[in-house]
Amino acid sequence: MSSFNSLMEGFASALTLSNLGFGLLGTFLGTLVGVLPGIGPALAIALLLPITYTVSPASALIMFAAIYYGAMYGGSTTSILLNTPGESGSVITALEGNKMARRGQAGAALATAAIGSFVAGTIATGILAFTAPSIADLAIKVGAAEYVALMLVAFTTVSSLLGASQLRGFIALAIGLVLGLVGADLQSGLARLTFGSDAALEGIETVPVIVSIFALGEALYIASRFKDEGWKVIPMKGRALMSREDWKRSWKPWIRGTFLGFPLGVVPAGGSEVPTFLSYSIEKKLTKHPEEFGHGAIEGVAGPEAANNANAAGALVPLLALGLPTSATAAVILVAFQTYQIQPGPTLFLTNGALIWTLIASLFIGNALLLILNLPLVRFWVKLLHVPRPYLFAGIVTFALLGAYAINTSVFDVQVAIAIGLVGFLFRRFGMPITPLILGLILGPNLELQFRRALQISGGDYSTLIASPLSKILYAVLFIALFTPVIARVMKKIRKEVTQ
Amino acid sequence: MKLPQGGKSELTFVGSLFLLGALVFWDTWRIELPAFNLTISPKVFPYAIATILMVLSALLMISILRGNTATPEGLDVGDPIHKTDLKSFGLVFGSLLAFLLLIERAGFIIAASITFFGITVAFGNKKHGRAAIFGTLFITVVYLSFTRFLNVQLPAGIFKGL
Repeated sequence: MSSFNSLMEGFASALTLSNLGFGLLGTFLGTLVGVLPGIGPALAIALLLPITYTVSPASALIMFAAIYYGAMYGGSTTSILLNTPGESGSVITALEGNKMARRGQAGAALATAAIGSFVAGTIATGILAFTAPSIADLAIKVGAAEYVALMLVAFTTVSSLLGASQLRGFIALAIGLVLGLVGADLQSGLARLTFGSDAALEGIETVPVIVSIFALGEALYIASRFKDEGWKVIPMKGRALMSREDWKRSWKPWIRGTFLGFPLGVVPAGGSEVPTFLSYSIEKKLTKHPEEFGHGAIEGVAGPEAANNANAAGALVPLLALGLPTSATAAVILVAFQTYQIQPGPTLFLTNGALIWTLIASLFIGNALLLILNLPLVRFWVKLLHVPRPYLFAGIVTFALLGAYAINTSVFDVQVAIAIGLVGFLFRRFGMPITPLILGLILGPNLELQFRRALQISGGDYSTLIASPLSKILYAVLFIALFTPVIARVMKKIRKEVTQ
Repeated sequence: MKLPQGGKSELTFVGSLFLLGALVFWDTWRIELPAFNLTISPKVFPYAIATILMVLSALLMISILRGNTATPEGLDVGDPIHKTDLKSFGLVFGSLLAFLLLIERAGFIIAASITFFGITVAFGNKKHGRAAIFGTLFITVVYLSFTRFLNVQLPAGIFKGL
């Protein structure tokens, strides 16, 4: 069956009345949580996961796709009006969009971000729909040894690209791997790092870890350091509309951003930071209004926002086809799939084809719902920015604890959550990046599994790990990423340009 | 030799990460392998991770001693690093512990309302009465929507049977 027919069937199952209802609810909740200051898409999705625990997998996926896009949209609203980016991909939006808002162009900034996200999301989801199956076909031929190499490449790029210090990135990764070790070993039943606790035998739940390291860690950190710093919301005048001139200046950056963001999401390039920064510097070079850059140029919002959204859709390709998350948000999505008993990877399109096409169709629908609902509703979302900080953090913290407890109705998960909250605090205080830890925790057990599988097939001969041509290429990439920090240097240069 | 501001506490932190690596190493060393034969022992991976963690933290400690201390999140390189406000930190942490201790004894509504209130105090809210009332109402609505509409089980505690 062709991709197109499958996609149409996906639409048919996503467009039933009850599923549309879940889509609407997801859009609403996703935006609601995403718009709250300091909450990025990864945390927003993780916080809302408990809501989807008890609905059917198909409805859950639809709601979830809507939450995902809603959270991204909500995040850019906050970046523009409040200058508090919830994740690295919104840094540019916060920078340039906030300047636009200060000049009284908040409406245009919000509109170009929303419409740009819609355009980028739709194009990118389209590419995803027609490429992921063929990538999955290729991926079926990827053996255990190559998987090991792929994961090591993902680890290396994420650890060394994010944050200022490579060493700190790798230490964060190693701590994630340690957390992933806890529990009974799947093959031998050996209890590792459980120290006699029965609850620990099951291993550490990933959802509470993700929620706590962001939410509880942030609450502890902000309370003890930046409690007295207020926020200044820029008032929005008029409606979220763009003039003819704004459209003329926006559409090319949207398209360029899309085609920059998507491929950089497919390859593990450390998330949305690189494509958004690149998009910004390209738009700055191509614009006819270079003098506006740094003071609120619409191209500087349109391009990076499109790149950010296309990047998120691109990250779904390795996630669905290989089961390999390349950003914190993608990692949360992987965990969400696993809670619905769906294991992303090459066989996914065969075993759960109908569900996946429903998901892809719901990405289209969620994206459209968002545009229709949110541009008119923007004033309502803006009101949420005025929630006082004490109440905001109190709400986030109680929700995080609720989620931790509800996943297994167990106190052990709450204990883990609080301990991880402390780790999150220390990581912030000592400048350690958080994404590598999450990737290590989620991918570590998988890495070990594939590693052992490869060596079992070869009868314990370690040379099997680098035997195939693909493995050799991947290790070459890994060494380049490790020892010639080309990308890091480029990023540093762009970062400097941006801040000047 | 004089360390930059915050250097000592960072050394302690990274030192404890080194100890974590050592702990993983020791735990792996002391557990007994099952009798049946595996091609790859379940100890290989933990040993590797423990070694990597210890080597990297040692390298980072050397780097800190040379003056490359971390920049806390939200600050720029060279900004003065203030001391952690231990009182607010303690209030947040205490609120988290309250939830842990009360969730199964007193139920979700009481545990979460106390946590909610504690966090508002930690973040400098002065109108305590309003925060307590709003928080309890909010938590009750959350509790009812999760247990009635979403079928997520949360302990009723002392309100059991209501």
